[in-house]
Amino acid sequence: MRISIENFTKSFGDTTVIEDMSLEIGDGEMLALLGPSGCGKSTTLFAICGIHRMNAGRLMFGDADVTEVSSQKRNVGVVFQNYALYPHMNVYENIAFPLKVRKESKAEVDRKVQEIAGLVHIGELLQRRPMQLSGGQQQRVALARALIRKPDILLLDEPLANLDAKLRLEMRSEIRRIQLATGITAVLVTHDQVEAMSMCDRIALMDKGQIVQLSTPKDMYESPSSDFVAGFLGNPPIAFLDGTVADGGFRLANSQVTLPVPSGIEVPGEGAPMRFGVRPEFFQPGNPLKVPGKVSFVETQGREELYDVTLENGAVLRSIQSQNAGFKLGQEVSWGIEQDRVLAFGPDGNRL
Amino acid sequence: MRRAHLLGLGFLSPALAIILMLFLIPVLLTVMFSFTNMSTATGISGGAYEINAASLRKLADAGAQESFVETLGKESFVVDDAGITAAAAAYGEQFANEVGSQMLGERFSSRRDLERAFRKLKSRPRSTRDIKKAADLFKRSVLNIRFETAGGLVDAVTDNGIEMTPDQQELLTKTIYTGWTWTSDNFALMAQIPYVWRVAGNTVLYVVLTLAASVGMGLFLAITTFYLPSSAASSFRAIWFLPRILPNVIFVLMWKWLAWDTGFLSSLLANFGVPPRNWMLDTGVNAWVFIVLINGIVGASLGMILFGSAIKSIPQSMLHASEVDGASRWQQIRYIILPQLRWPIMFICAYSTLSLLTSFEYILLSTDGGPGGATEVWSLMAFHTALDNYAGNLQYGLGAAMALMLVIVGILASLVYLRIFNFNDLVAKPRIEQ
Repeated sequence: MRISIENFTKSFGDTTVIEDMSLEIGDGEMLALLGPSGCGKSTTLFAICGIHRMNAGRLMFGDADVTEVSSQKRNVGVVFQNYALYPHMNVYENIAFPLKVRKESKAEVDRKVQEIAGLVHIGELLQRRPMQLSGGQQQRVALARALIRKPDILLLDEPLANLDAKLRLEMRSEIRRIQLATGITAVLVTHDQVEAMSMCDRIALMDKGQIVQLSTPKDMYESPSSDFVAGFLGNPPIAFLDGTVADGGFRLANSQVTLPVPSGIEVPGEGAPMRFGVRPEFFQPGNPLKVPGKVSFVETQGREELYDVTLENGAVLRSIQSQNAGFKLGQEVSWGIEQDRVLAFGPDGNRL
Repeated sequence: MRRAHLLGLGFLSPALAIILMLFLIPVLLTVMFSFTNMSTATGISGGAYEINAASLRKLADAGAQESFVETLGKESFVVDDAGITAAAAAYGEQFANEVGSQMLGERFSSRRDLERAFRKLKSRPRSTRDIKKAADLFKRSVLNIRFETAGGLVDAVTDNGIEMTPDQQELLTKTIYTGWTWTSDNFALMAQIPYVWRVAGNTVLYVVLTLAASVGMGLFLAITTFYLPSSAASSFRAIWFLPRILPNVIFVLMWKWLAWDTGFLSSLLANFGVPPRNWMLDTGVNAWVFIVLINGIVGASLGMILFGSAIKSIPQSMLHASEVDGASRWQQIRYIILPQLRWPIMFICAYSTLSLLTSFEYILLSTDGGPGGATEVWSLMAFHTALDNYAGNLQYGLGAAMALMLVIVGILASLVYLRIFNFNDLVAKPRIEQ
């Protein structure tokens, strides 16, 4: 079901968390609300499921205005960060709870619980208590409970935050599999860019209560709208070079080095500050646009090696290279930037 | 023992001293007293042996033969040295010598017999009045004389010429002793008290009703204040906590003022033509309503605080989850909140049962067991019997035996509760994941 948030404003007391936000989520789409802590992503999620009331704005599920509908009647499934399983009920009762409060018949409840338990692979755990389950199993129970009454919308609030690294990988693909299998419209709240990129159709990147960019993961990675977006996405993160416009090129701060500006961008006036963003994969020994520097940090990641190169003016560029390149700490190098993949940002941080 | 252990023991010692002084010693004394017949009449120190009108009645009640009791009560006349000396001083040596030489050692069961014997003597006093007076000098009796030991009494009685069988002797010394003695009769005596079963029933009624009222009110308050905005909730809680911090006497006095025949209720209802009356003591049912309200409102505040904090400790997300799962407010309370209050509710029940069993201060202050014993509970009965008896004879021993029953019931109840609570589970390490 399509969700549309129009001019949503939310404040707690005197603090306005979200102001005048609008967002459209398509039917069957999985959208990530990504951003640092305190950016308002969870608030948005709670507004969608009705736990928080909106101070202003409108919320539509399909063609129905649900702004004033209570959370009990919105037919939304939510997976909470700590799963919020009911400790005094066993797994079966937990999953059946949404049906129980709707007073469905025992046979019907049983059939649906068995079906959903099969979908999330917890058929053999139904008689256990939540306390006797591992984190991943609890997560599956929480998913089953959220999905059992066939909600129109599935909301996931940091569902992987409490899992260890290996389980996180497994559950990432599990959640996506279940979402695709049920065809449900889903909203995932996360602060982890890898989760957002790997699980979702589109990402809404939020900062200070605003959506700064809304696009597909690939698009957002390759053409971020601002240096904030560029810095938020990518691991290892992008490196920034500060400088000014000089002779139509980019003059590094405190340095005589001038780099050409990528083609097709509108260069600001002479002397205006400018920022270059270089992703580690585009700063390699083989590229033509050489920048001299000294290896100041080496990190072995197994398949790859990560180098920090400190330039003459103190700025740092990052490079990720396949194993066995064999550069040493302190070594003088002159590696090249792939000119067309450089991201240039204006003085306000927006992409040029 | 390591120094740390000694230090721990040192820190613990005030608590140990308090337990010893305020719990163990009183319990031991209660056990001790409950096996005595101590009362105001016996005193709590030793006693003495004295035959008097009252002790003779007691002797008859205890089943002594009528003739034996009669003999003990009668005076006899014995011609002995003490009498002769007295007679010499009053009526001259000659008379005394004649009595001494002819009648020494003789006994007379009545004064008339002695007078008749005197009249045969040559040197007798002339007037009849003097003979009567002289006979009185030889009157001997065990009545109204205190003996410190049983032996002294027995000697005196035998000296007076009263023969006793060993059985009679034992009965006599046992019955007329004025001090306390060891006995196990208190428990049989207790069972014979005509109203004792009603008091036991009252106690059960008191505990059950008060517990239900305080847990019910506590739950209601905890849940309602949970859904109120926090500032309103805390002022509401503070108001409900007032009875607990108010001195008991003032709290009950306000209830009395509310209920008595010139008080608030009566004045208010007078406007509707209801004749004024003491609403608290009007009928037994009324008295119970007030007792349960007074105790329940005080008890509710504790439940409110405990249940309130237990509700607050339920993770917010669990309540949110139940809301988006479609649970209404009532279903949320019924399925999510109440099941998680199971332990606090059981704790309050256990704790309150034990404290209600032994508490009687609000009943004492409000109805004092009235009207007509309708609200007399066991602990109050023990108090009344031992320390505040209308008749004035405070029966410490019987009262202590009643209190001992409460101690036993309390210990049994605690054992049952420990079993139900599975105490070892409660103090087990928390298994918190996340």
